Amino acid sequence: MSPTPDSADHKPPTKNKVPLSGTGQALRAGTDLVAALVVGGFLGYWIDRWLGSKPWGMIIFFFLGFAAGFLNIYRSQMGQDYKIGFKDKE
Amino acid sequence: MLESPLEQFVIKPIIPLHLGNIDISFSQSALWMGISVILITLLMTLSVRSKALVPGRWQNVSEMLYEFIHGMVSENLGDDSKKYFPFVFSVYMIVLMGNLLGMVPYSFTYTSHIIVTGALALAVFTLATGVGIVRHGLHFFSLFLPKGLPWVLAPLIVVIEVISYLSRPISLSVRLFANMVAGHTMLKVFAGFSVMLGVMLGIFPMVVNVALYGLEIMIAFIQAYVFAILTCIYLKDAIELH
Repeated sequence: MSPTPDSADHKPPTKNKVPLSGTGQALRAGTDLVAALVVGGFLGYWIDRWLGSKPWGMIIFFFLGFAAGFLNIYRSQMGQDYKIGFKDKE
Repeated sequence: MLESPLEQFVIKPIIPLHLGNIDISFSQSALWMGISVILITLLMTLSVRSKALVPGRWQNVSEMLYEFIHGMVSENLGDDSKKYFPFVFSVYMIVLMGNLLGMVPYSFTYTSHIIVTGALALAVFTLATGVGIVRHGLHFFSLFLPKGLPWVLAPLIVVIEVISYLSRPISLSVRLFANMVAGHTMLKVFAGFSVMLGVMLGIFPMVVNVALYGLEIMIAFIQAYVFAILTCIYLKDAIELH
């Protein structure tokens, strides 16, 4: 298990060498967290209006949205891109 | 009197049109979308008309754009790449042209409106989901249930996965829209500083503005690239279904 110089980084090899693609990935992360929160909050609000369960739907779905947002970022940073569901690592 | 930095995003009708109660005026946003489509068509047709073996300047530009997207699509979608290439290429060009035309002084950036980016993102999302359902039928929904999941956790994980899936069009559209609005507002604010400080001191905000202008052109390319690569990734998810 001696790390060779070229296997030092654990990221999957980027086949497509696009200039600044790393910057592109960094810019993606922020909105992915917020977008999932927005979806969670909106779903919670909608369920509350439908079932009259104010404020529980909003509270629960807000946290579920938070979890989904972190899942989004975790997947993108682990090189699984934005796959829904867990992908086996190659 | 200085205008608000957000003044530039106001939609102004050029030819007012009303259909019943619906306002379908031809706005400056529509004008710039039209200009962008015409420019893309001209670029992609005129530049390759000579079909030179050794490409000239313009032919080189269109070949680079083509090869860039072709590489991206074939890498992500493999055998199906030919079917989806026109869609991804159109999306990429319309976003890139919108971002770049927005950098021309006195122009209008149509990608700075959430209604435009939202419509593009919804088109991508609908296409990806539709392709998935057509190719896999109801099995497509197994996407939300990861393999080897303990059944106790299933209700929780399925809800989280659905939220994660639904957040895709939102993050896709908000990312492009927010980047464009933020960048153009910043340019306007620094330009406003220049006007307020006068000729002598106003040169400093102008220097900053020149640098920001370069940054904005970089952002224009990156955001178009991100939009296109995410379109590829979403289509790939729907096709492969791991």
